[in-house]
Amino acid sequence: MNRPAFEHRVLPHLDAGYNLARWLLRSDAQAEDAVQEAVLRAMRYFASLREGDARPWFLGIVRNACFSAMERQRHAPETLEFDEEGFARDVAAAGPGPEGALHEQQVRARVDAALRALSPPLREVVVLREFEDLDYAAIAHIAGVPVGTVMSRLSRAREKLRQALATLEGR
Amino acid sequence: MNPDDKALSELLRRHATRHVAPPSLHAGVRTQVALQALRQPQEGAKSRRWTRWTRWRERFGARWALAGWSGAGLGFGAGLLCAALALPLWQAGWQAWALQPQLVARHVHALQAQALVDVVSSDRHTVKPWFQGRVDYAPPVFDFAEQGFVLAGGRIEHLRGSAVATLAYRRDRHVIDLYVWPADGAPRTPEHHVERGFNVVHWADGAMQYWAVSDVERAQLDQFAALWRVRAAAQ
Repeated sequence: MNRPAFEHRVLPHLDAGYNLARWLLRSDAQAEDAVQEAVLRAMRYFASLREGDARPWFLGIVRNACFSAMERQRHAPETLEFDEEGFARDVAAAGPGPEGALHEQQVRARVDAALRALSPPLREVVVLREFEDLDYAAIAHIAGVPVGTVMSRLSRAREKLRQALATLEGR
Repeated sequence: MNPDDKALSELLRRHATRHVAPPSLHAGVRTQVALQALRQPQEGAKSRRWTRWTRWRERFGARWALAGWSGAGLGFGAGLLCAALALPLWQAGWQAWALQPQLVARHVHALQAQALVDVVSSDRHTVKPWFQGRVDYAPPVFDFAEQGFVLAGGRIEHLRGSAVATLAYRRDRHVIDLYVWPADGAPRTPEHHVERGFNVVHWADGAMQYWAVSDVERAQLDQFAALWRVRAAAQ
C-alpha cells in the first residue's frame, strides 16, 4: 500500500465516514469501530481505487461496515423513536438561556429525532444526499441499488421528514 | 422527476447534527495506517491480486511463508483439520456402537435385580424433581397412561462415568427404559436398532438425546417415541 497516497486521498474523508457511520449506528463506539474496520478494508483494496474522488468509494466501504455491524446485532431495534420525555428533560436541564440558543437546541433535537426515526435504508440516502451532497449515481453506487431506488427512497424519506417536521419547516 | 425539497434540505443542512470524528478515531486510524505500511515495506503502488487466500495468508501465515515453510505448514494444517473434522464423527459412531450393548445390559440388570425404579411414582411431578441433585440436568418427564404407557418411576444409571437419568414405563407386562441425557444440539429423527433381541430406538431434540430400550414390539416402541416427541415439541 502506498501510504502517502492513502493518507492524502482517503483520510480527509474520515469525518464524512464517521458522520455516516454515526447516523447509521446507535452509539459513538459502534461508529468508531465501523470506521476503523472500514479503514482496514480501504487499505486492503486501495490498489483497486482509480483516479478521482475517493470519497464515494470510502463512504461505500464505511456503509458496508455499518450494515455488517447492524446485521450482527439485528435483534436490537434499528430506529429510535422520538423520546418526548427525554427531550423535555433536556430542554428543562438546559435552563434559562438566550431564547435563540434554546430554540436552536429544540430545533436540532427535533430534526435529529426525525432523521433517527427513518429506517436505515432511508436514513442512509438522506445523509448522503443532504450532508455529503452526492449525486444520485454516487449514492446508488454506495448503497448498491439502482438510481431509481435511490430517488424513490429519497422521496419517501422526505415525505416522512416533512410530516415529522411540519411545524418547523421554513424557520 | 425528483426535485429536491429546498426548504427541507435547508432545515436538515442547518440544523441536523453533523458528527465529527473524535480525536481518538483520528489517532487510531493513523496508527493503523502506519502499522500497515510497516507490514508491507517497499510494496509501493504495485497492484496485487488480493484473493481471499492471499489475504488470509497475509494475516495468519506470514511467518510460515517467509520461512519457506508454507508447504510443510499447509500439509500439517490440512492434516490437523482432517483429524479435527473426522474425530468427532468417528467418536460419535463408535460411541453409538459401544453404547447400545451397555444400555441393554443396564436394562436387563434392572429387570433382574428388581431395581427398576428408585423413585416409585406414576406422577411425573414426583419423578422429575427427584432427579434434582442426582444428575446435573433436568430431564423432561411425561406420562402416557392414557395411551397405555404408564410411568413407573425413575432411577439413575451410570454410563461411561456419568450419571444418566432413566425413566421406566410399563406397557402391559413389558417394561420400557428411557435413558435421557443432554444432546450436542443436533436433532435426530428416531433410529432403530436391535440388540440381543431388544428393540432400541434413539432420537434427539435440541436439548436432550433419548435411548428407549425394551422387549416390546417394534411398532409399540415406535409409538412410544412418537408420543414422546409430540409431547416434548408441545412443551
